[in-house]
Amino acid sequence: MSLKNFSELFVDLDSSNSTNNKIEVLKNYFLSNDPIDNSWAIYLLTGKSNRRFISGRYLKNLFSQIYEYPEWLIDTCYLKVGDSAEVITLLLKNKSTSRKKKFSNISLNELLSKTIPDLSKLNEEEKNFKIKNMWETLPEDNHLIFNKILTGTFRVGVSIGLITKSISKLINIDEEIISHRLMGNFEPSIDSYKFLVNKNINLQELNSKPYPFLLANTIEDKIFKHSINDFQFEWKYDGIRMQLIKRSGNVSLWTRGQELVNESFPELVEKMSHIKDDFVLDGELLVWNFKEQIACDFSLLQKRINRKSPTRSIQIKYPIIFIAYDLLEINGRDIREIKLKNRRIELEKYFSKWQNKTENNISDIFKICDLILPKDWPDALTYKEKSRENNTEGLIIKKKTSIYSSGRKKGIWWKYKVDPMQLDAVLIYAKGGSGRRAGLYTDYSFALWKDQELIKFASAYSGLTNIEIKELDKWIRKNTIEKFGPVRSLKPEMVFEISFEKIQISKRHKSGIAVRFPRITKWRKDKNIHDADSLENAYKLMKKIS
Amino acid sequence: MRTKQEYLIRYKDGNLYCELADIWIDPSKPVKKALITHAHFDHFTFGCEEYISTKETAILLKERVGDNIKIKTFEYGEVFKINGINISFHPSGHILGSSQIRFIFAEEKWLISGDFKLQKDATCKQYEIVKTDYLISECTFGLPIFKWDESKKIANDISKWITNSPEKTSLLFCYSLGKAQRLLNEISQTNFKGNIYSHGSIHKMNNSYKKLGIDIKDTIKIENKKKIDELKGNLILLPPSLSKGSYLKNFKNIQTAFASGWMSIRALRKRSGYDKGFPISDHADWDGILEVVKKSEAKNVFFHHGDSEALTKYLREKESINVLFFGK
Repeated sequence: MSLKNFSELFVDLDSSNSTNNKIEVLKNYFLSNDPIDNSWAIYLLTGKSNRRFISGRYLKNLFSQIYEYPEWLIDTCYLKVGDSAEVITLLLKNKSTSRKKKFSNISLNELLSKTIPDLSKLNEEEKNFKIKNMWETLPEDNHLIFNKILTGTFRVGVSIGLITKSISKLINIDEEIISHRLMGNFEPSIDSYKFLVNKNINLQELNSKPYPFLLANTIEDKIFKHSINDFQFEWKYDGIRMQLIKRSGNVSLWTRGQELVNESFPELVEKMSHIKDDFVLDGELLVWNFKEQIACDFSLLQKRINRKSPTRSIQIKYPIIFIAYDLLEINGRDIREIKLKNRRIELEKYFSKWQNKTENNISDIFKICDLILPKDWPDALTYKEKSRENNTEGLIIKKKTSIYSSGRKKGIWWKYKVDPMQLDAVLIYAKGGSGRRAGLYTDYSFALWKDQELIKFASAYSGLTNIEIKELDKWIRKNTIEKFGPVRSLKPEMVFEISFEKIQISKRHKSGIAVRFPRITKWRKDKNIHDADSLENAYKLMKKIS
Repeated sequence: MRTKQEYLIRYKDGNLYCELADIWIDPSKPVKKALITHAHFDHFTFGCEEYISTKETAILLKERVGDNIKIKTFEYGEVFKINGINISFHPSGHILGSSQIRFIFAEEKWLISGDFKLQKDATCKQYEIVKTDYLISECTFGLPIFKWDESKKIANDISKWITNSPEKTSLLFCYSLGKAQRLLNEISQTNFKGNIYSHGSIHKMNNSYKKLGIDIKDTIKIENKKKIDELKGNLILLPPSLSKGSYLKNFKNIQTAFASGWMSIRALRKRSGYDKGFPISDHADWDGILEVVKKSEAKNVFFHHGDSEALTKYLREKESINVLFFGK
């Protein structure tokens, strides 16, 4: 019933690597706590609370002020810990003498619905006093959670899947139902928890929610043994995967990340509301080049995502389109259990009906995805190789007889991505990581040759194994030329193979190019720096593609 | 101010060296004469002509590396002379036999802290405050984020960790000399009443401690690792080296933990790959280092074995203590 119990839950979840164990721990937590605290727990654990009430910087300054602690010392500690909330928590241990003997036991609900949101109503002095008071009255074990919620950095290794499984076990109801109940908005309340654990299944109540998304797996060799006719082929677009829902006349746009984004794309909402039928479509939102009929780069879509109520001129400058892959529900009838090939027939049927019958022309903002019809697998490969030309990432292959289940189900959908572009580059800078990688140099910058000079062209964080990270960290410490705050410039010596998806001209970078999703794919210990690629090679790569 | 060469003790080839006595402290390569602060392997190297240590350190070393080394021993506080320098060992509280070493020459006092902790530990002598002019201190945990809990609390956490998973065998990884015996002593005073097993390397050190008169609980030596899965509800102490290779892949029914000061940081805990981390250390925390610096009354301080940047700046700014560098 309290922050204390939730702190214990956090420790238990955090110190277990076993899925079954975590499910058991969660189940027991839900059994022994109030519905309202349970709903807050779910809210926190599923990452729905990312609101930052206080910045990490503010928290560090406040601590420094209250305890007359040098700020540089807190910053030095941060480099080791990688999380402001945790640094302050650890430093507070040192201040236990100034703490009150009698500790308050606050409920999770009070903390999250009142104490913390109310901070924004206070002036700075009152706010600081309140936080100091919380630090002094909360038991030590609760500090981490309190600080993490304050700074909006509460993250723990619990997936929605785990919550789904534990609730499903708790009330003995199918996971699919629970996962559907968990879709969309989740406002913490007694009712929202009761809805989640209701043993009676009433499909009506799921009406406002999107369906759990079905996701594709990486291609497996075994599918090449099957007849090409068993599968449906679509382009893999690089946009925002979305469910476009119209129920009882109301249109809603739900992203895969379960955000309602109606406000960012009002023109789509408006156009779709003219369609007479109700429906749920699974598809992709893109910025579209209508002249050439291809998708625009993802960077243009980014200009729309975070902008609410875009002006008319923005709408014209970055015209969007919704490309439907699939029809999941039509006029209140859930058709996810129908085979894909039949759902496709329905989708085509309704699309042509809407095109003809809707007064407003919808085809300038909505279409259904074209199917690709390869003759055989080598032909499919040829299509895949061509996907860069139309700004897609490859193919999606779907089994024609599959039903629309949820999650990353095996053996239904596959992504067949085009091979990444690669360049060999020289490591020139390293920066300390944060979070799990705190205290290690894990953020790297790589350079290519331009005449005799190495020019930075990309930064990458991922791709090395933990063992390689440690080895490289050691090397970095021994081969530093200069330190600038958390960044070190390094002796050019190490060559890495960098893979990326896209390459384009960029005026912002000294190299004149920008790459998308750069990552390390190989530590080329066999190469010396003069074997690394030149910027010229990068330009050639760019020409080859466009 | 004197130049680096003129200090009584200085760095040479990465090791502490007293030229006047031609003697090295915990050298990492073979030399003629070596003072050994304690019996951990990172403070010992084979091939020195003569070693000098406390009696306990000598016995522990011989148990670990064999009788084939020449060690001269002295009691804590006993003063011996080399080339006119008075040298003595003093308890450092790190592990059994561990010591600080004091040098006195021409009324100038130097103190090498060795590895040390201030926390109570029933398996070794408590740290002794020694006054000095020059202090050379370790600073493994030289940041204020390190603040140790009482070992009793950690022991209770370990006990709870084991008893909360009665269907699993609990594997606790810890250094085989010192940490293992300290944990054994602490855990035997908790509510955990199951059996404690230990790996051969730890078992051997347990016996050495007992021979030296330290009262610790008997453990059962793990003879057959195949049985580990069957020891559910019980505790096994293992050296950290075993967590790295394929050893753990043999077992299905286990939970693992690591007992180390580094485990107070979540990122390190997560990266370590153990299920759980218990932050307990045989080194001093930030407050411990500051306390020793102050109580030693040293006017000049050197740090080694750790990241000393923060400590150096803090002591200079906040305490106006003269922190010096050897340069390597």
